[in-house]
Amino acid sequence: MRLVKAVGLIAALSLGGALAQDRTQTLIYGGDWSDLITLDPQVSYEFSGGLITDNLYETLVKYEGTDLSTLKPGLAESWKVERGRDTWEITFRLRRGSKFSSGNEVTAKDVVYTFERALAIKGPGSFLFTEIAQLKPGATKAVDNYTVVVSLPKTASPGSFLSILTFNIGGIVDSETVQKNAKGNDFGKEWLTNNSAGSGPFRLVRWDRGSQVLLEANPNARVKPKLQRVILREIKEPAVLRTALESGEIDIAEGLTPEALRALAGNPRFKTLKADSLRLNYLGMNVKEGSPFANKLVRDAVRYSINQDELVSGLVQGNGTKIQTLIPKGLLGYDPRTPYTFDPARARRLLAQAGYPNGLEFELLVSTGICGGGIPCADIAAKIQSDLAKGGFKANVKAIANAEVLRTYRAQNHQMVLVGWSPDFPDPDGNATPWANFEARSLAWRNVWNDPTAIRLTNQAALETDPAKRVALYRILTDYVLKNGPYAVLYQPAVPIGLSAKVEGYVRNAQGQVRFENISKLP
Amino acid sequence: MFPYLLRRLFFVIFVVWGVTFATFFIANVVPIDPAIAALGDNAREEQIREFRERYGLDKPIWQQYLIYMGRLLSGDLGNSLRTQRAVAEDLKEFFPATLELSVAAFLVTLLLGVPAGILAALRQNKATDVTVRILALIGGATPVFFLAVLLQYVFARQLDLLPVQGRLDGFTFPPPRVTGMVGVDALLARDWGVFLDSLRHLVLPAFVLGLFSAAILARMTRAAMLEVLSQDYIRTARAKGVPGRAVVFRHALKNASLPVLTLLGGLLGGLLSGAVLTETIFSWPGIGRYVTQSATSLDFPAVMGVTLLVGLVYALINLIVDLLYAFLDPRIRYA
Repeated sequence: MRLVKAVGLIAALSLGGALAQDRTQTLIYGGDWSDLITLDPQVSYEFSGGLITDNLYETLVKYEGTDLSTLKPGLAESWKVERGRDTWEITFRLRRGSKFSSGNEVTAKDVVYTFERALAIKGPGSFLFTEIAQLKPGATKAVDNYTVVVSLPKTASPGSFLSILTFNIGGIVDSETVQKNAKGNDFGKEWLTNNSAGSGPFRLVRWDRGSQVLLEANPNARVKPKLQRVILREIKEPAVLRTALESGEIDIAEGLTPEALRALAGNPRFKTLKADSLRLNYLGMNVKEGSPFANKLVRDAVRYSINQDELVSGLVQGNGTKIQTLIPKGLLGYDPRTPYTFDPARARRLLAQAGYPNGLEFELLVSTGICGGGIPCADIAAKIQSDLAKGGFKANVKAIANAEVLRTYRAQNHQMVLVGWSPDFPDPDGNATPWANFEARSLAWRNVWNDPTAIRLTNQAALETDPAKRVALYRILTDYVLKNGPYAVLYQPAVPIGLSAKVEGYVRNAQGQVRFENISKLP
Repeated sequence: MFPYLLRRLFFVIFVVWGVTFATFFIANVVPIDPAIAALGDNAREEQIREFRERYGLDKPIWQQYLIYMGRLLSGDLGNSLRTQRAVAEDLKEFFPATLELSVAAFLVTLLLGVPAGILAALRQNKATDVTVRILALIGGATPVFFLAVLLQYVFARQLDLLPVQGRLDGFTFPPPRVTGMVGVDALLARDWGVFLDSLRHLVLPAFVLGLFSAAILARMTRAAMLEVLSQDYIRTARAKGVPGRAVVFRHALKNASLPVLTLLGGLLGGLLSGAVLTETIFSWPGIGRYVTQSATSLDFPAVMGVTLLVGLVYALINLIVDLLYAFLDPRIRYA
């Protein structure tokens, strides 16, 4: 008996490899997913939560590939926006035959339930529904099993609402399954934290916090994935991420350092990618009364002092795009023009004209952490400091914890800050309102920039439904803010990603969405 | 014995109270706003206000302290601001990983430290002794992060022998969660492949974490052994013709173990709480990594929860060590 056991043990040990899952059917995606706190689509507002729930749930409309300006059908095969008397009426026609992982069919009642659920739960992203779209409880109605009508007030932008729907907050949940697992009035919030009930190509198998999230192909999905399993592996250290990719422990490494990316680029076993983001790294200047930056000439002098080309190609090592206007590349209304060229002599002249012939000294606040593109923020600040010195400025760099930078910035207590911004939803208004509308109490407010022209243009552009006219309005607005606003945009960082050469079909849009169903692995 | 235990347990309460007070004070000195840290840059003013109200952050610090202590007395550790769930749940999730790693590292400590120390003492000032002392010096002086990255480079990247991160291979399906210690759970599920995989994942982090304490233990064991070996009763035993092995293990080692035991208690406590760097570098989902992430976002309840847990474990280990004294040295009595 003992002999049998021993033989069995040895056999089991040597079979260890065979017990492992089929490697070509499993994708292991490494990255810093430590921000993950829930996998409930109506609650999650973290980057990694969005990445995962986008593959568990389908939305009515969606973006495809890297294009974030053309809406494509999702669960809705068609939709139309109509002007009511004092509302926008948005009608969605659902596809027939879409099924949740439970086998239940996706119908209009699930859409109504999902939207009402988002409003009732009041998650951190719910302001997208309540404030941006101004969606009210009861405003979503099922006309029949496959038709849903949403009424929004005339003051809301239907374009913004549709782009919000591509987000995980618009991920349609299986109302029957969720309600079955609800506790009291929680709309299944506790249960959906680590369970899934969607119609997406994958379903959630288990989430080992701090370690990994395991997804498996949803057998009832309309969109069949090419892989059986996707595992998101949490690795915070960029150096470990690189070693794990090189030793084959993971297939994709997101968030490498620029150095690691360069090293991998020369190795045929790997592919590298600089994925776009919608982030902008910028300088914010406080223009409150009495501040030197209240003078437009001083702000212009700052913009002429910065050697952006050198910053992007040198320090950022190409992990970013040069940009000066407030709408990032990838969104409607992006303006690639960069009229401010590095001209320190001109900056000095402007500064003298503004009444600072002997230069200007001020404090530049920066985070001690990492800025977009994998570069320490303090390194970027040092580069800016030396550029500004050529233009006649003496910037005293103060590096403090990121949360502390934000606290100071929010209290309008800075002179200049170096920070980043990503829009809350992939629509130009996701940047225009915070950047240009003082009344939104966001970036314009923090920099005490209260400009009626900018506010008027922002509101007008947000409500315009004709895309061509909208683009034209954003051209005017972005140009106006570039020349008058309290910002100097530095660059749009890219996300450095390394992949095993065997991985095919990986596409990451600037919003951070990756459709796992399109990915496959060569043997 | 029993009154002694009671007295000691009563003392633990004071230790814990001191820990809460100190942690609270430190948290109040740090100029970070936990609401902004938790909600991020895009958060609206209303969200921040709501968050402060929900977690009582809008109240004066002494009130926050009283509320916290009140809840603590009823066994509630509160909710983490970052993970937004009960701290007790988080600890239950992450502590087993730390325990697993610490126990493995403790084994490394014992298996390397004790024999090396004995060997060095028996061969005092010979080549073996010098080698052990030099290795102990290097082991005690090498920073954890350096050693970790070095070993990862050699064993994972160059030799491709051992994994660099995690508790299991990504292609291995994890065992059903019972204790939270993957190796133990794999054994319970009688899944040898998974068990073996979990051992492979333990090797590097356990070695990195255990090496420092092994170095200290080796030196301590050596010193204690030398001290004992020069005693009269050892000479007597040898003169009586007791075999060398028996002299070393029965007479010398048992007497040398008292100071070593004191050190071991401290070392185990240190392993449990000192895994922060090791856990971060090896992507090990334990309380060390949990508390680092919580501290940077000033997640006070989480930091407090971990501090309390570690404090309790420390106090408990010390108590056990003291009780073991009596077992090893019959002259010691507790009354």
